[in-house]
Amino acid sequence: MATILIVDDEYLIADILGYALEDEGYMTVKAGNGKKGLEVLDRERPALVITDFMMPVMDGLELAKAIRARGDLSHLPILLMSGAQGSIGRSSPELFSAVFDKPFDIDDIVAKVKELAPLDD
Amino acid sequence: MEQLKRLESGIQGLDALFKGGFVAGASYIVQGRPGSGKTILANQLGFNHARAGGRVLVATLLAESHERLFQYLSTMSFFDPAKIGSEIQFVSAFDTLENEGLDEVVKLLRREISRQKATVLIVDGLLNARSKAESPIDTKKFISELQGHAAFAGCTVLFLTSSRLDDGSPEHTMVDGVIELGEELFNTRSVRRIQLRKTRGSGALSGLHECEITDEGLKVYPRLESLYSYPSRTDSADLTRVPSGIVALDRFIGGGLPRSSVTMVMGPSGIGKTSLGLSFLAASTTAEPGLHFGFYESPERTRMKAQALGHDFRAMETAGALHLCWQPTTEGLLDGLGAHLLAEVERLKVKRVLIDSLGGMARTATTTVRLTEFFSALMNELRARGVTVFATWEVRGLFGPDIQSPAPDLSSIVDNILLTRFVEHESELKRLLSILKVRDSFYDPSLLELIIDGHGMDLRKAFKNAEAVLSGSASTIPKP
Repeated sequence: MATILIVDDEYLIADILGYALEDEGYMTVKAGNGKKGLEVLDRERPALVITDFMMPVMDGLELAKAIRARGDLSHLPILLMSGAQGSIGRSSPELFSAVFDKPFDIDDIVAKVKELAPLDD
Repeated sequence: MEQLKRLESGIQGLDALFKGGFVAGASYIVQGRPGSGKTILANQLGFNHARAGGRVLVATLLAESHERLFQYLSTMSFFDPAKIGSEIQFVSAFDTLENEGLDEVVKLLRREISRQKATVLIVDGLLNARSKAESPIDTKKFISELQGHAAFAGCTVLFLTSSRLDDGSPEHTMVDGVIELGEELFNTRSVRRIQLRKTRGSGALSGLHECEITDEGLKVYPRLESLYSYPSRTDSADLTRVPSGIVALDRFIGGGLPRSSVTMVMGPSGIGKTSLGLSFLAASTTAEPGLHFGFYESPERTRMKAQALGHDFRAMETAGALHLCWQPTTEGLLDGLGAHLLAEVERLKVKRVLIDSLGGMARTATTTVRLTEFFSALMNELRARGVTVFATWEVRGLFGPDIQSPAPDLSSIVDNILLTRFVEHESELKRLLSILKVRDSFYDPSLLELIIDGHGMDLRKAFKNAEAVLSGSASTIPKP
């Protein structure tokens, strides 16, 4: 079963996204900021990461750079959920597989997860 | 005497309440019920601060999502999405508060202040922090530690809370200032209020002040009598006269109205108060422009009325000699109107104002108790700015022996008083004008008949052989 890591300081958004992915058969793990996300990443080895941009301690951009800096995780799909900073994410395709502007349609994000981290893998 | 460095909120009127702005590096509680405007005040300050080159950290201890907040704020002109994520950071500390407690929230925010180089910290949801505290000491400790870190970094802190904290609450004792926002019902009308309940390190305009939330955000209208308890500049010692706009009246009052004086014409509806006022405005020039500050008649109707008296207001407006400012609403705020009038006078360099009418302005007051003080302050300020004012005030009763003063202590408001009445005399209804007072001047005390026709307005001595004229029912004195 594929595990998805959701990194967001707003627990409500992380919860809603988590429930939607769990309904599709994914396992989800959550972290409240980029630094905690990296800790979870080492522990859980997720198939895909969904991250917010603006977070305390370590933001989504810093998290993505930290992930890409690890050779073994250079191809891990990362989706960015962003408010006003979507353009920053879009200008860094080497970091993010897709960017979703908030407020996003949850079905769109689930469809992207299915595409990049199929359950039968 | 040393002045502490200030942080300007950029919110209209709010910095004036603090006599210059928030004290930089100090901490404030902004309290008020949900919907009272706390979040708007704080975010408006935040966006203005970012626009001025500062950096802002907004930390929420609430479950509400930031996106929802952005949606609401996006309806306000101060909201600038380009600032979010760069100069303004929004972070949620709700999860940390729920799972790790107050100490961890302090650590998180301390790190973030430093990481973001924040010069303003907004903490939304102080009530949640209080509910997580095991004792009042813990709440004090939370505030004190955050204050300490923020002050060290030169960061001004706003704590937002929806609870109405008492003056003796641990939160109040710790912070440097407390701002309370509220709303009061006056019959069916709701008026927003703001009050500075505590200010350390700065002067303050005490008491309740009206405010409103518009598309531009929060606007605060300091009580005019507190803002201008002394006029902003020295009154002019100019003793010259300016034309009243009615040649005959100038003859009876010694050559015109004293410059920078306030004239009030009182009388019943339909007597010609507005027509007198429009004639006064018709004497405006491009060098000394006039302003019509009216409440009842639209600009178009005002122009038509002036036309009927032989004055081409549209041409005067085009030439820049006259400006019409109509206040069609009865929902306005008294101090808002006062502030608007003074702002227009300043902006348009106005030297002649018609307020038609003081009663219309007074209708917006939530209490009549302060009307005398309000109008005194407003007129003093207009005089100090070299403006000659003509104001109308409708008195009740078309006829009858009683004449009621529209306000107590009129002398503190006006310099010159003209009384108008309808008089029945010799089977005719006539208009009477009586000069009751002209500042520092001799005037003709005769009872005058006011004549309004297609040629304009005129005054002539009349009622010479009549008595009880001011009662409204004059009788001819029998010849001996």
